[in-house]
Amino acid sequence: MNNNKTTRALLGTGALALMGLAAAPAQAADADAERIIRDRCLACHTETGESATPFSRISEQRKTPEGWMMTISRMQQQRGLVISPDEKRTLVKYLSDTQGLAPSETDGLRYLLEKKPNVVESFDQLLQETCVRCHSGARIALQRRTEDEWKHLVHFHMGQIPTAELHAGARDRAWFDIALTNVAPKLAKDYPFNSDAWNSWKSAAKKDLDGSWAMTGYLPGKGNFDATLRVTKQSADDYAVAVEGTYADGTPLTGEGRAVVYAGYEWRASLTIDGVKVRQVLAASADGMALEGRMFERDDEIIGGSVKAVKGNAIAAVTPSYIKQGERKVITVSGNNLKGNVKLGSGLKLISVVSRDSSRIQLLVEASSNARVGAKDVKVGRVSANAALAVYDKLDRVEITPSESIARIGGAGGPIPKQKSAYRAVGYTAGADGKPGTDDDLRLGYMPAAWSLKPFDEIAKHDNDIKYAGTIDRDGIFTPGDAGLNPERKMSTNNVGNLTVVGTVQDGDSSVQGEAHLLVTVQKFVTPIIE
Amino acid sequence: MKHLKSFNKKAKMLDQATSQNEVEEVVAMQSIVGCTSVNDPGWEVDPFGGLGSLCQPMESDLYGCADACWWPAQVPDTMSSHPNWSQDVAKANEDWRKIDSVFPEE
Repeated sequence: MNNNKTTRALLGTGALALMGLAAAPAQAADADAERIIRDRCLACHTETGESATPFSRISEQRKTPEGWMMTISRMQQQRGLVISPDEKRTLVKYLSDTQGLAPSETDGLRYLLEKKPNVVESFDQLLQETCVRCHSGARIALQRRTEDEWKHLVHFHMGQIPTAELHAGARDRAWFDIALTNVAPKLAKDYPFNSDAWNSWKSAAKKDLDGSWAMTGYLPGKGNFDATLRVTKQSADDYAVAVEGTYADGTPLTGEGRAVVYAGYEWRASLTIDGVKVRQVLAASADGMALEGRMFERDDEIIGGSVKAVKGNAIAAVTPSYIKQGERKVITVSGNNLKGNVKLGSGLKLISVVSRDSSRIQLLVEASSNARVGAKDVKVGRVSANAALAVYDKLDRVEITPSESIARIGGAGGPIPKQKSAYRAVGYTAGADGKPGTDDDLRLGYMPAAWSLKPFDEIAKHDNDIKYAGTIDRDGIFTPGDAGLNPERKMSTNNVGNLTVVGTVQDGDSSVQGEAHLLVTVQKFVTPIIE
Repeated sequence: MKHLKSFNKKAKMLDQATSQNEVEEVVAMQSIVGCTSVNDPGWEVDPFGGLGSLCQPMESDLYGCADACWWPAQVPDTMSSHPNWSQDVAKANEDWRKIDSVFPEE
């Protein structure tokens, strides 16, 4: 067990991002990693004599950097592994590079690595009942193993966590037999150790990621931003990073840090931006021209949002992404090498250029009162952002994202901080059929909203959850109540609550509301590298 | 359930779930990543998607509910992985501020 508070700062992707790599040629690093395995792991593991799978168990699995980090940490915690932080970094890098996942093998599952909050997973029932009762499905789906290795994993669970077969949904059936004879072969088929995707990715030439990138993103409490990300190669897969940009309200943003790239595309950066430690968990595209993922505060992972960076001549973002018929407003186009004439499409008139440089153009735009409703392309010289600016007649629907969410009480002198929750409002216009909520709705984008809370149901109303469970601020950030027993409440119950988050978006003289469900619940006493 | 009369609040709520199938459905429900869908009892959410049937306040029956290994991804499993977690805190409802999370090794 380790509940040393200093560890809190070194968690997960944080620890990965902090890795300073030895400036050694790749082959020397590989030899070094194999030596570490021989020195540190062979007290229990064995050398097989097979060149394709030289080390027992270790060589028959593939994982993400976080997955390998978690495995080695567990070996330290549970199996007496003694390994220095430097050796651990070398090993995680080597194993992620040589036994990692192809980009396509992480499709649809990156939320787990990105620490994206409030994701509701959907796995098939067999997996849901057998594994996803306790931990995320993506933790499994981001691993690749031989069938024997998947079976070993079942045995591991029986040995380490035998109560798994006593839960509801397990004790009424032969859980262990099902896991071993049905689930393990299915996992070997769905998530196989050998895959064409990995074989071809592993042998493909990887692009260096140095250069100047146009980055755009969103941070709760701060808003949208656009920035230039300058990436300078230090050694193989090791980069110095500097970021300089502007939030939508004009506030500047500056920072710097370091990034390590695993498996040729898994970008893990650790930066300090305006005094706040942040992490980037991004994936590089195969052509090395785009980086996409999530950036979040190191000490408050909920406070984060999607980011995207592009290299070369490109538009990265158009914000705001909507304009109403008859409206005149400033639209910001950000990107790289923005040169040439601006074209906005029919019905949109460029009144003036408010400011302009190669990475950012601010335009005063007016939509005619009869501009056709739809998503327009925005062009600057030869580059185009397709369907980047939506013209609309009326705001018909507001969706609050995330629609299902939790927050956890904390603080109040205890060691576990409050787990907040952050919301955004997405506006839609009804589309040709005039009916909101149908397939032809036009998404307008994120809109500013006024935020409030109300009881989710009669029980929440009766228990006065609204008074105790927490508050939401003007930026849509919910801060839960204090941890601990509350003698003011019935049975001294905790400051938990079942709430509805209401976002109200103004559209001219009328307003449109959207709602999301928020369950404010108790803290967790386990902080894993990935959930 | 014919010959048994529900006694406490939770039993009454279970009784209100009209059929065994419905109980199965709620038990196997999807959950938000980081939450357990083991809800007999639940940690974050009760079998009905609310909070009414959780052990509350959590600290009063923390060890009784969680020990030794009921929600191993939420509360440290003291059977195998973290035998010493909270060993110095005999009364969680009084000394809950002394109970920390477990973290991975550096």
